[in-house]
Amino acid sequence: MLKQCIVAVLSAALALGLAVAGASAADKPTYGVLMKTLSNPFWGAMQKGVEEGAKGAGVDIYLQAVESDQAAEPELNACNTMLQKKPAAMITAAINSTILLPCLKQANEMKIPVVDLDNNLDPAITKKAGVDIAVHIGSDNEAAGAKGADWLVGQLGKDAKGPVLVIEGLSGNITGKKRAVGFAAELKKQAPGLNIVASLPGDWDSLKAANITNDTLQRNPDLVAVFCANDDMALGALEAARSAGKDKVIVIGVDGNTNAVKSIKAGRLNASVAQLPYLVGMQSVENVKKALAGDKVEEMTYVPTLVLTKEVIDANKDPLLQYVK
Amino acid sequence: MTSNATPAATASWRQRIAGGAAVRLESLAVLILLCVVMAVLSSAFLSVSNILNILLSTSVFGVLAIGMTFVISSAGIDLSVGSILALSGVVGAMLTSNLDLPWWIGILGCLATGALTGAVNGFLVTKAAIPPFIVTLGMLGVARGIALVLSDGVSIYGLAPQMVWLGQGRPFGVPAPVIVLLLTALIAHIVLAHTRFGVYAQVIGDNEVAARAMGVRVERMKVMLYTLSGLLSGLAGLLFAARINSGEPTAGLSYELTAITATILGGTNLFGGRGSVVGTLIGALIMGVLQNGLNLMAVRPFYQQIAIGAVLILAVWLDRINNSEGWRR
Repeated sequence: MLKQCIVAVLSAALALGLAVAGASAADKPTYGVLMKTLSNPFWGAMQKGVEEGAKGAGVDIYLQAVESDQAAEPELNACNTMLQKKPAAMITAAINSTILLPCLKQANEMKIPVVDLDNNLDPAITKKAGVDIAVHIGSDNEAAGAKGADWLVGQLGKDAKGPVLVIEGLSGNITGKKRAVGFAAELKKQAPGLNIVASLPGDWDSLKAANITNDTLQRNPDLVAVFCANDDMALGALEAARSAGKDKVIVIGVDGNTNAVKSIKAGRLNASVAQLPYLVGMQSVENVKKALAGDKVEEMTYVPTLVLTKEVIDANKDPLLQYVK
Repeated sequence: MTSNATPAATASWRQRIAGGAAVRLESLAVLILLCVVMAVLSSAFLSVSNILNILLSTSVFGVLAIGMTFVISSAGIDLSVGSILALSGVVGAMLTSNLDLPWWIGILGCLATGALTGAVNGFLVTKAAIPPFIVTLGMLGVARGIALVLSDGVSIYGLAPQMVWLGQGRPFGVPAPVIVLLLTALIAHIVLAHTRFGVYAQVIGDNEVAARAMGVRVERMKVMLYTLSGLLSGLAGLLFAARINSGEPTAGLSYELTAITATILGGTNLFGGRGSVVGTLIGALIMGVLQNGLNLMAVRPFYQQIAIGAVLILAVWLDRINNSEGWRR
């Protein structure tokens, strides 16, 4: 019995020790911020932007994320739990376009405005589900893909020919799909000779992207370029191509995350269409504050993107570069 | 002489019938303690709406864990439950959303898909004599793959409204999945602790050779046990899909581990011979409360994984301490 008591006390201490986040000051309004995962630098940068935006706007934030960007049901549960704290606004980055809908609907009923952070929700589906989104903010993912294609054609010329590989995101995720679609459409328009031989889901996973690249190189040893729907996958594809001795294959990612910037600076990764997550995070807080104050806010806000290459980074002239973290 | 001559196996049945009904106090103690700690640390914890919220979060993997309790009691394992969940949800969504069939066909489709997949597991374990770990590990991939193929990797939105009610409805203010979970647990408890089927499952887990010698039809039992686990995975898939009004091919990733954790937390012996549905329900609630409390306190998810792992080890350790002091010879 004594032993059991000791163990009980120990476990209480454990739980207390884990409760690293204490109570916050009560009078400032608190916004709930739900992210996908913090183990990707992209979301880390967005988190910093949100925190900076909150500081500027004079609000508290209550930030939560789930363990991976595939933990769909845990995210719904975290969202429901967040509502228990009755935040003034909900800023959410949904893992896919449907998982959070029941929670967001409840937020609507509680008159808590909802921000779709990084455009993870499909307006057609939210409308069908009767969920009202106050602000969509993020990057235009189709435009980002198109920008990647535009840059590639700029490098190779309009008459270039050869096979191109596209690695999409997680199956069913609208962000990855849009980037891939935007890239494919623009490539077809500008340089029809560049032929997309495969467009496969890499599940945001660098290892999977590396394997896909390896497999494709077996079939298409003359591969010209790889476009990946995020930087993690681009870095995986890059390693695969380079270790196979394919130094000429152009690899393009999307996001502009820390690792990609490092790789670009080192002259390895060719380009990344930077999404400026820091700016997205910052503006999401500012916009929802405006919406709460009754000011008019654009329902769809697109934060600009920027094609990062070694030249652009070395020149260090573009004002948007300050938001590349 | 005659009273002492009662076969050992029969005696241990009786023990089990009594023991199966009893809730393990260690698990319950951990649960209560966690609730107290969370209530102290977060003012939002102790409210009716938050408690219903915890039960709702627990409902999907709780149903999975109940099926797992039966399989593990019989010294088996089912690693395919998360994938069967996804496959069943996708089938249910396709039947009602893509094919516009009535709601009850969607519900039956979920359950039948689960049961059928589970039966395939059971046949492979018995007829082909492949170890359950391998059969269900294989099925983990196969069922997930079929779910992705059927749905083309995209979630299928828009189920029949009656199905959605099962996930989002609130009769008497209680979320419908919670009612489904509690009803399932009640029935499963009676079956495991008070019927011949449940007792046989545990006897097989305790000593398969002895069970065979006693005339238990071990093969048939095993097929039924895996079918039951599949059926409950199908039910969990139905609840999942209904909760979010869409069939997700990527639903339930790594839920098999969550279900196993809840089962072990509840005091079911990983190597068979002893199982308790009430215990499993408590185990699932321990995980639900922990997750909810840590979410309320905005603890980063990385720490949450540490906490859940630590509590699992702690609970099993408590069990060990108790057993070494208590009735175990």
